[in-house]
Amino acid sequence: MYQYDIIDKEFLVDRSNEFRGQVARRLAGEITEDQFKPLRLMNGLYLQLHAYMLRIAVPYGSLNPTQVRRLAEIARDYDKGYGHFTTRQNIQFNWIKLKDAPDILDKLAEVDLHAIQTSGNCIRNTTSDPYAGATAEEIDDPRVWSEVIRQWSTLHPEFSFLPRKFKIAITASAKDRTAAKVHDIGLLLRQGRDGSHGFEVIVGGGQGRTPYVGPTIKQFLPTDRLLSYLEAVLRVYNRHGRRDNIYKARIKILVAALGAEEFARQVEEEWSKIDAARADLPAAELARIRASFAKTPFETLPARSEAFELAKANDSAFARFVRNNVRAHKQPGYAIVEISLKAQEQTPGDATAEQLEVAADLAERFGFNDLRVTHAQNLVLPHVKLDDLPTVFAALQAAGLATPNIDLISDIIACPGLDYCALANARAIPIAQDIARQFADLDRAENVGELKIKISGCINACGHHHVAHIGVLGVDKKGEEFYQLSLGGSGAEDASIGKILGPALPADKVATAVDQLVGAYLSVRTDGERFLDTYRRVGLEPFKEAVYAQAD
Amino acid sequence: MKAITANRLIDGDVVFWKSGQWVERFGDAQLFDENEASDVEAAVATGKGQPTVVVDVYPIDLIESEGRWAPVSYRERIRALGPTNELTHGKQAEGGDVVEALRHASGAARSTGRVDLIRRK
Repeated sequence: MYQYDIIDKEFLVDRSNEFRGQVARRLAGEITEDQFKPLRLMNGLYLQLHAYMLRIAVPYGSLNPTQVRRLAEIARDYDKGYGHFTTRQNIQFNWIKLKDAPDILDKLAEVDLHAIQTSGNCIRNTTSDPYAGATAEEIDDPRVWSEVIRQWSTLHPEFSFLPRKFKIAITASAKDRTAAKVHDIGLLLRQGRDGSHGFEVIVGGGQGRTPYVGPTIKQFLPTDRLLSYLEAVLRVYNRHGRRDNIYKARIKILVAALGAEEFARQVEEEWSKIDAARADLPAAELARIRASFAKTPFETLPARSEAFELAKANDSAFARFVRNNVRAHKQPGYAIVEISLKAQEQTPGDATAEQLEVAADLAERFGFNDLRVTHAQNLVLPHVKLDDLPTVFAALQAAGLATPNIDLISDIIACPGLDYCALANARAIPIAQDIARQFADLDRAENVGELKIKISGCINACGHHHVAHIGVLGVDKKGEEFYQLSLGGSGAEDASIGKILGPALPADKVATAVDQLVGAYLSVRTDGERFLDTYRRVGLEPFKEAVYAQAD
Repeated sequence: MKAITANRLIDGDVVFWKSGQWVERFGDAQLFDENEASDVEAAVATGKGQPTVVVDVYPIDLIESEGRWAPVSYRERIRALGPTNELTHGKQAEGGDVVEALRHASGAARSTGRVDLIRRK
């Protein structure tokens, strides 16, 4: 993990002190709410329905146990004992008081955490692969490049007042766990024929009210030219992005209006004017950053663990957990362990202070001090010995963290929705809980297989409903909550935007409709077909029939 | 019937207008009937003149529920109660008749219940 140096640390202390002064001036009436609002947003502090909400950056979803314990402490001392992990690998606290916010920022700064650029029209936290440094699929460690972008983009003077917010995702594996193609910029690390590394650059993806899978504007950007090229993209956007209309201000609208080819041409033109020696990262600095992600000191172990095999044979619950939550590791004798935050009746993405502490302890004792957050609102222990898995499983089970449902139908993404969010039109959490209840039977859920349900409480799509296999969008019909279903979206490497199934349904019909959709899928699927594959083969009609024919 | 709501600046808590004061419980809110429109306007103006006390002051529409008054809109009922996924969080934690009436209220709500939602430029 990247270690903050003295400059980073002093910077955070200064920043926290600055915000303390701003809060004091606001409370004393020396600045107005209109003046204060952008200042608090630059520090991740929103005013929601019941209280302030503080969004804390988790750079590329990576945390150490000290940080996780500090988050638990904040949950306990300043919130109601829990935190909420978001679809951009960050964590939010829902019950924050303005008067406490400066103290909280101080406490975060002590453990190298902050809330800078988690809001506002700037470059936000970079999303990256939660399996970084652990999966055999990757061709380089994407955290290195995420950290490069973090340092470059933090308080970047030219890009602190963009037309709208700006989100970057990086993956170095063929399997995309970052939703890169629906980010403002998606960077897919590729290996060239000569063995050199370069990024496929995707620009102008996004969700919200105008969803797009982003087009590729550069097939192979040599990695050492990353920052100058990003600068060129941002500069074209900063110059031509629609500042006149908030709904048209994201880069995706500009790219769609110009066409990918013309946008790419303008970027190339801008890029050619940039002095590479000034803009690109010096090799020595890259080496310094890379060194902080030095190889994890794995032990040399046999690929097969007797303790692990024995536990799997004797304990069906453990075997199920392994089937669904444990993934292959690049190092023999190790595994990647997903911790589901989607237990029955749990709010998707919520973790209590006690659960955070359990996760921190496990990361410390069994996982090289490494804990990751996924964009699907779960946690990951990226490096666990197979020998230790039964012990880790038991500890997770005791903490209510061993739900074996990763990527299954009950592993649902949901935004906070109208229960918390000032922008929402409808609730998302209770719908997620209804659907999860409908599929509480794990044998049935496993039989259904990979099925990604994602729920947003409004068109801003924080719940990623556009890229769900089954998407659910809360809408407001004359004050009643209704839900529009869409099918066939994907946020992975096979990215696509879902298609609306039909008229919106009342809240109490959503789980039943999902059941009907699953029934239709099971009746026509062929061997090995996921829900998404079946949908892509047979189209919308059989599913429409299943839900609306019976609804009459 | 109308009430007036805001969020308290210092902690963000939902508050309601009561005769020149801001109170935390919806059950304690001052209710204005249809012929008190100018009183509502005056109270909102007073609230907006207290920027170090409250933010986002606005009137909300009410309907009758179980013999009591409740906000028309779902959003405002959630503000007055707390989140529906955590029934011990927020104002609903203390329970009582008013909370029950709010929980059971339903009806033809406007989208947000904010009376002054549309801002004309």
